[in-house]
Amino acid sequence: MTSAQRAVTESASEPSEPVQRHQGWRELEDDPRWYETAVFYELVPRGFYDSNGDGVGDIQGIVEKLDYLAWLGVDCLWLLPYFPSPLRDGGYDVADYLSVASDCGSVEDVKQLVEEAHRRGIRVIADLVINHTSDQHPWFVESRSSRDNPKADWYVWGDDDQRWSDVRVIFCDAEPSNWTWDPVRQQYYWHRFFHHQPDLNYENPDVREAILSVARFWLDIGLDGFRLDAAAYLYQRDGSNGENMPETHAFLQRMRKEIDRDYPNRMLLAEVNQWPADVVDYFGDGDECHMCFHFPLMPRMFMAVRREQRFPITEILAQTPAIPDGCQWGIFLRNHDELTLEMVTDEERDYMYAEYAHDPRMRRNLGIRRRLAPLVDNDRGVAELLHAMLLSLPGSPILYYGDELLMGDNIYLGDRDGVRTPMQWTPDRNGGFSRADFAQLFLPPLMDPVYGYQAVNVEAGTRDPSSFLHWLQRMLSVRRQHPIFATGGIEVLPADNPSVLAYVRTGPGAKPGSELTVLCVNNLSRFAQAAELSLARWEGAVPVELIGRALFPPVGPDSYHVTLGPHGFYWLELEERR
Amino acid sequence: MTVASNPVELAPLAFSYLERQVWYQTAIESAPPGPLELISIDVLRSARPGLARLLLGRGEHRFQLLVGWRTPAEVAGVLRGRESALLGPWADDEGSVLAYDAIADDELDIELLAHVTGGSERASRVRRVSTLVSHASLVFDERLFMKCYRLLEHGARPEVEVVLRLDAVGFNALLAPVAHWREDGYDLALVREFLPSALEGRLLALTSLRDLLAHASEGDERSGEGPGHEGDGPGVDDPDAECASAGGDLASEMRRLGGTTARLHLALAAAFGDRPAGPSTFADAEAAVTAGSGEAMGQLASRLAAINAPAAGRTIRLHGDYHLRRVMRSETGWLVAGFSDDPLYAVARADGSLPGRRGSPLEDLADMCFAIRRVAGEALAQRPESEADTAGRLAAAWERRNQAAFLEGYVTTDGVRRLLPRDPAMTELILSGFELAREQRYEATSADA
Repeated sequence: MTSAQRAVTESASEPSEPVQRHQGWRELEDDPRWYETAVFYELVPRGFYDSNGDGVGDIQGIVEKLDYLAWLGVDCLWLLPYFPSPLRDGGYDVADYLSVASDCGSVEDVKQLVEEAHRRGIRVIADLVINHTSDQHPWFVESRSSRDNPKADWYVWGDDDQRWSDVRVIFCDAEPSNWTWDPVRQQYYWHRFFHHQPDLNYENPDVREAILSVARFWLDIGLDGFRLDAAAYLYQRDGSNGENMPETHAFLQRMRKEIDRDYPNRMLLAEVNQWPADVVDYFGDGDECHMCFHFPLMPRMFMAVRREQRFPITEILAQTPAIPDGCQWGIFLRNHDELTLEMVTDEERDYMYAEYAHDPRMRRNLGIRRRLAPLVDNDRGVAELLHAMLLSLPGSPILYYGDELLMGDNIYLGDRDGVRTPMQWTPDRNGGFSRADFAQLFLPPLMDPVYGYQAVNVEAGTRDPSSFLHWLQRMLSVRRQHPIFATGGIEVLPADNPSVLAYVRTGPGAKPGSELTVLCVNNLSRFAQAAELSLARWEGAVPVELIGRALFPPVGPDSYHVTLGPHGFYWLELEERR
Repeated sequence: MTVASNPVELAPLAFSYLERQVWYQTAIESAPPGPLELISIDVLRSARPGLARLLLGRGEHRFQLLVGWRTPAEVAGVLRGRESALLGPWADDEGSVLAYDAIADDELDIELLAHVTGGSERASRVRRVSTLVSHASLVFDERLFMKCYRLLEHGARPEVEVVLRLDAVGFNALLAPVAHWREDGYDLALVREFLPSALEGRLLALTSLRDLLAHASEGDERSGEGPGHEGDGPGVDDPDAECASAGGDLASEMRRLGGTTARLHLALAAAFGDRPAGPSTFADAEAAVTAGSGEAMGQLASRLAAINAPAAGRTIRLHGDYHLRRVMRSETGWLVAGFSDDPLYAVARADGSLPGRRGSPLEDLADMCFAIRRVAGEALAQRPESEADTAGRLAAAWERRNQAAFLEGYVTTDGVRRLLPRDPAMTELILSGFELAREQRYEATSADA
């Protein structure tokens, strides 16, 4: 019996629960545009919860923790790769697309996870690594074996390593070139990432069909969509930088078309680490990806707080084009990768390194590998401010597991593992993550005096009504009651104080023909600040603070004065006007 | 357009109205006595609310007054809170009306915008920023800004000329001109885009200093180390490092501002031409150095006297009043503003220099460097006496760091070096000389005050 099978059996042996709704569970609505208002929660299956005591988190572990996630108020889980893999890149080196790594569970487990999540009103998407496979994948093993086997053209082979020399090397710390010599086939193969991740050859129609059938396989299991890994790099062309090629868009549009046709209410989230003006192409005319990550916003939020000025944020908002109806940005503070600095200028990158990564170990490729809490020196005020902005700026927020506890990281672990340490559930052994011996754990849990599991864990967070966890849970609940945060328009308001970032989210109100406006004011400074805002358009409105429902002084014809505590923020609803 | 009533009858009302205005009295302060006269009148709209433009003169001075009229009942509503804008009773074709300064009337302001822009711009809201100076400043829908001049200058008005010509050579770091109203040889109004979120450079600088100088009072608390630890982070022992690590560090912004300034100078050279600089170009710097007593500066004086073209760089038309209140940070970068067009302002300048003059670009740079020093002094003055020593060292480091960043951003901009003296060491010395001149002038003005 595999560990995964054992997990299923153990789970099944527990008192079976009649299918019923519990308090706090929500209906899964039949809504093709659910992702526009959803709050996503990204988790590393191996690091979340170990259900079978083998030291590695698994799919059944996620099933067991669904009630916690439902309580927190997230709408969709994003699972990092759980496929069989040599794990040389956190599972993004897939060795088999159609099964689950034995230490993570089984395809049946994924099916059960989806069903149980859906019962709680939570959807589930997973990573789909479409650009490349592991060099252990049978497709590559066959392709490299000779130059004339049936899969000989499933990867990109060349006799020299000079072609496409304009294409950048993304993992520049580890790879000298995008070509690697294969001694078996006696040719070079092309890879955008690590040399053990050969790029699939999308010129070959069989490859395109194979990837589409992988998508269909998981949609049949019940997944609600995919995060398309490295979606910008599917094709390369001579004389180009090999990114955002028209053929790449054509393939993604085809994928979208097939999904729309056969699988209602599913979505595609593209990972395209580019400037917003280029990323919008991945929305097509509303016929390509439903969502795209907004990468440049995130480092600028950190930069704005550090510089205590709004311009890093307002600049990137000004550069963000409108997106087609039915499309949405995915915005985040931190994720499983480094805090990416590809989308800032060299000068800004130097600044960010100096500010946030004093120790060179914190740096990786063009980024900083830290979790949210250490990035902000564990300053809860800053963490709250950053989340207040994350939840009120345009886009669907994506939380990273453990950040709701202000978990720390371990910069001494290799690669990006520093931010993938086990979720901290209790102050007990291994932080409640696993019953296995410590030495057996896939990564050591944090045990330092500040971020260690003894102090930072879900149990402590849920028991303490003033914890960050409770604060975030309340904020998610407030956001859910105001879909305007998800779908409303945004306008940055002038404020005379550079440390104050003010914007309004506007959209239709509850009454027909009415307009609703929520004013968000953020103090990026660690000192109390005052600002004057031009709110004359809303003259007569009485602002209502959304969290405590306190009334603020009515808006007059002149500028509106606000005062904010250090790193303070307000969400103020300006009453509906007909 | 003609009407049966006689608009010329508005003139006496306009005369007495003008004489009640502070800006008018200031403008004619030193002029010989003489009567006000009506030069021309142009009815822009005869239907109520009516609108006319009056060109008035007194000696050499010319004034523009926009006059509106409505029924007395309407005027009471329109001028509520702005009753001082009333000119007096008049009669149009339809009967008795009250005439008033049209700038006070939202509807007429919007009408005026349409007139100035040839109908291409319509607005629904207007906000009067300032109506007490020699021009009225109006903001339309928070996107357009109109300066409607009252005190007129014959010939090219420096602001209008500079803005239009810089725009024509493709310099985009200014609020772009949208429309220009010029008649009878006078610039009457200029409409430009308005960026409400742009902030004065001085505010950014003060924010940055606030963050830095707070370190003086926070001391070692920031190190995050408990008792028994010696913090390894920068302390106030190393004010330069402290500046670099402070939250609100402005150096990258100042570097960008340096780049924008270089592009401004290149654009000014393209729009108005550039000429070889010579020893006289640096007379101000030399005089300042001579007046000063420093030995090193003494050497500068003799070297300045010996400098000659082409080693001296070029002269260009200067911004002429370049400091942190004249630059604004917007969503897209720095914008340059305030080409000191206001004649009242020019009169108020301590050195009597007028806008539009030529000189070495180093003069604008010295202005900005001095502004950086002054704002540091301003922030320092707000800190308690007990922190004076630490805060003083931090402020001095901030000044050095930001001046250096500004100048680095400037000199590393493509093509700008040809405007400067060839020898970088010389450039630095001249810059110090000009800065010294600013300082001496400032001190003299402060002493007078």
